[in-house]
Amino acid sequence: MSAERSTIAQLSDQLADAVERTARAVVSVHARPRMPSTGVHWRDGIVVTTDATVKREQDITVTLPDGRRVPAQLAGRDPGTDLAVLRIESGALPVAVLGDPSTLKPGHLVLALGRTGDGGPRAAFGAMSATGGKWRCWKGGELDLWLQADVTLYPGFGGGPLVSPDARVLGINSGGLSRPLTTTIPVSTVNRVLEHLLARGYVARGWLGAAMQPVRFSDAARGRIGIEQAAGLVILSVEPDAPAALAGLMLGDVIVTIDGKALEHPDQVLEILAGDVVGKTLALKYVRGGKLEHADLLVGERPRTRR
Amino acid sequence: MNPAYLAEPADWLRDSVVQVRQGASAGSGLAWGWDLVVTSAHVAHAGEVDIVLPGGECRRGIVRACDRARDVAVLSVPGLGLPAARRRAPSALRPGEVIFAIGHPFGVQRALSAGILHAVGPLPEGYPLPAPQRLLPWVQADVRLAPGNSGGPLADAEGCVIGLSTMIVNGLALAVPSTAVEHLVRAAA
Repeated sequence: MSAERSTIAQLSDQLADAVERTARAVVSVHARPRMPSTGVHWRDGIVVTTDATVKREQDITVTLPDGRRVPAQLAGRDPGTDLAVLRIESGALPVAVLGDPSTLKPGHLVLALGRTGDGGPRAAFGAMSATGGKWRCWKGGELDLWLQADVTLYPGFGGGPLVSPDARVLGINSGGLSRPLTTTIPVSTVNRVLEHLLARGYVARGWLGAAMQPVRFSDAARGRIGIEQAAGLVILSVEPDAPAALAGLMLGDVIVTIDGKALEHPDQVLEILAGDVVGKTLALKYVRGGKLEHADLLVGERPRTRR
Repeated sequence: MNPAYLAEPADWLRDSVVQVRQGASAGSGLAWGWDLVVTSAHVAHAGEVDIVLPGGECRRGIVRACDRARDVAVLSVPGLGLPAARRRAPSALRPGEVIFAIGHPFGVQRALSAGILHAVGPLPEGYPLPAPQRLLPWVQADVRLAPGNSGGPLADAEGCVIGLSTMIVNGLALAVPSTAVEHLVRAAA
């Protein structure tokens, strides 16, 4: 053995330190048959895991790093972003040290951690593959950053943290959001969803109660109405007593702007509704009978279907 | 000594790695002592085997001991003439430490693959392995192994062997702890 540690041995030590330090806030979540999943002690008494690994809402337990198994209550879940939040006893554990994943670039080294039962932490290693800005995943939720890592999520790793070599938690790893790479739900998204889940147990999403599709305007129509944009959204149906109906919208109306922003694609409406808009009023402009009209629409909460 | 990367410890260790051939099966083996090679029992479990040295020369090996349950075989190889690999108990390592494997994946001679230590101990429930085998102590590594790695070394960042590569389960590399190999070697002596 030499007194001087080689570069690779130093990296090795650093990675093992990052695993050891982060693992103090990493728990095992027993909320499905057979293999448990992983959770992160995000705030005092609050454990974050993935929605997909929580298969039952009662009789959930959590194994702490010291091997103690404690009861946990489901505080809320959001299938859209694949997050679930559990409450455990307060003061039981140190909380995770959170980092800033917005500075990640392809090539940055990362670790994934798992805890599957009363054993020690489990680790996997790799690099960031792709990073980017906010995106909407196939489950419908909006994630603040596109984080794809070339790191293997072994059985039970879902709900565990993505960790930087300096022992910062960068987000929660989800096995179900995309393949073959590992998708990470970034810290800021977890924090945002966490507030909703702790307040009411779910994430309220905005609702208009109208179906619409894009429709193109002819040059002549644009000139006659007095608008610039190439397309609008024609209303195909309006649910009775829904926000759109209460605002006076009818079949055949063509929405052209919301709060002054031109609308040409339904995704733009979904984006508006994904934000914190429930209970807020949107100013709409729409075309009816060849004339531009105005309406104020009070956004409702999308009715929740039972899982 | 300040090897910047794994090349230097890998070079030392590669001098102790042989190929083991028995019939159609080919795996890896590791020089463990004077004229002594260890490998996986599923690579060589009885009788005589062909040993290909790092320089390409061939030797005959005789299976001296075999533990099918632990999947380790001990071979005596007259005229081996290779340095015995340095060893370390896997319990001395922490999850996250850099490790590497040397072997002959798909016949590629003495190839290196690198990763980290995943865990040491039995596999959790949910891995598709029968219970007695699942509950044995394993060196578990996040490293890419392939057929042909079996019986070859898994080593730490300093080139000390912590296990013998045995199999891949759900993408996870499993190796027999060096301490269990040593146990069988002593029992066979």
